[in-house]
Amino acid sequence: MPYHVYMKSHVARGVRILVCVKQVLDSAETVSIDETATDETATWIRFEPGTVFRMNRFDEFAVQEALRIRESIPGSVIDALSLGPDRVKKTILKALEMGADNGVHIPVETKKYILPYMRASMIAEYAQNRHYDLILTGIMAEDDMECQVGQLLAGILGLPYATSVIYQDIEANKGTIYVEKEIEEGRRECMDIDLPALITVQSGINTPGYPSLSNVLRARGQQIEVMEPSRCADRMDREVITGVSYPSAGVSGTFIDGSPQEKANALLDILHKNAVL
Amino acid sequence: MNTPMYIIAMHIQGKILPETYEAVSFAQDLGSGQKTIIVLGSGSQLSSMANELSENTGIDVVAIKAQYLNLYNAESYKKIIKGIIGHGRSACICMPHVSMGYDLAPGLAVDLDAACITGIEAISPDASFTRSMFGGKIRVQTRPLDGPVVLTVLPGAWKGFDNAPLASGSVDILSVDEPPLTTRTLEIKASTPKDMGFSDAEVIVSAGRGIGSAENLLHIEDLAALFPRSAVGATRGVCDLGWLGYKHQIGVTGNTVAPGVYIACGISGAVQHLSGMRHSGLIIAINTDAHASIFRIATYCIVEDVNTFIPILLEEYKGQS
Repeated sequence: MPYHVYMKSHVARGVRILVCVKQVLDSAETVSIDETATDETATWIRFEPGTVFRMNRFDEFAVQEALRIRESIPGSVIDALSLGPDRVKKTILKALEMGADNGVHIPVETKKYILPYMRASMIAEYAQNRHYDLILTGIMAEDDMECQVGQLLAGILGLPYATSVIYQDIEANKGTIYVEKEIEEGRRECMDIDLPALITVQSGINTPGYPSLSNVLRARGQQIEVMEPSRCADRMDREVITGVSYPSAGVSGTFIDGSPQEKANALLDILHKNAVL
Repeated sequence: MNTPMYIIAMHIQGKILPETYEAVSFAQDLGSGQKTIIVLGSGSQLSSMANELSENTGIDVVAIKAQYLNLYNAESYKKIIKGIIGHGRSACICMPHVSMGYDLAPGLAVDLDAACITGIEAISPDASFTRSMFGGKIRVQTRPLDGPVVLTVLPGAWKGFDNAPLASGSVDILSVDEPPLTTRTLEIKASTPKDMGFSDAEVIVSAGRGIGSAENLLHIEDLAALFPRSAVGATRGVCDLGWLGYKHQIGVTGNTVAPGVYIACGISGAVQHLSGMRHSGLIIAINTDAHASIFRIATYCIVEDVNTFIPILLEEYKGQS
């Protein structure tokens, strides 16, 4: 039975939701290039012990939106999935603390950057036969800012998708979801999409809450499902990283030096000269 | 690169987005391959957009016409573009990294078995593409392997295409029937009334997360009040925190501004923000971190905490006048 036909009959019993969450480097952390790598394609970022990682903020909005859907449709179930090294379990735990029902870890041990297509292929491998009605993820990851994994995943699974969703209203018994996407200059593009579908969530769609104590306690005792390492590992990438560098040290502008008062006066001069004061 | 190149024109409500012409400039820089602009739409709007594109660029235009194409929809765009390009053929498909561009590109890449590289800021001599990661702290060069490739071009990274062509390109208008779709675009809702005065402002003072708290917006407002024609802007991060409404947002999916003077306060300089303000006349950046990316595009750089520096600035201003 085609995937979407199977789903239509399935939806009324509550929706099955997969939320894909990524663990990212905290934005306050310094980013160091791993200079020790010899193979240029393996050159990537070096993470010192003690580096702070956390859930990608856009994915927090996705988890929160999943919770809202489960609240409105009894019987719904939320699986939260992350892929990467062992440390990403902490981010899965965070999703459980927020209220997700089950955690799934796809283990990937690599020092290389996992390209979006590979990432999406591995998630697709997991999601393929699990009959999710709705897959949610953040519009992009804060670290690589690719804006790709959601759409690639939808493409690989053959699902319809919408990106940058700022409002949704799922109509499970009709088998559709109405979404408003944020587009340029605050306009909204409104769409009606057949389920199963994938949506990527824009920040501001909701206000992610703090985990309740009961959820924190429940999450602590919960098993995270660990998948077999992906069979995609040897799948050909479609692009190759040829260089990683710090932005050129050359700054085109002028640093204004001196005491704060001197800097203030220099700035006032500039503003006067440009006739805006 | 001499593979055939296709530029996907992006438009809203009958107007070609200026970023489309930036994607044309990018394609010109990228290589000498045969170029075609593809535009999808409906009615007389489509013909006038197709003519505009061919006249402004001198590039041949393939225009696909159907009533249901009056609004953008990734599913229909994917089907039609795949039909034009053909599966498995080596081709380079370029589009701007606007909401429709990043919506379409990865989905199209899957359908074409293509590589997909998004948010491109520069082309390196070895045909790699440069893009930023980690809020601009790292630059990554990436090169597509053999086969088709779908690329999105970061707004503001290339100038719009303004070489007046010797002759217009040809315009082919083809009609298509509506296929069954699983996604239906219903309408575009206009943004809620807003007039932040960005277009009239000579000076825009913008706040980033670096201001520390909503209370510190007072400093930003005080500084803006110094100028007769000014407005207050913000990064998406500040809007996400609820410190300012989204109508203040400058950058991708927010406002694009180019005032005479732009004062960036506590803004680190993620590319999403830079693409919305990099064409400002004079950019003044105030940030505690001397390595912040914002200093790379600023005209004047001040390493100070905005919350202590702005009161000093206002004090000195009073002393002068």
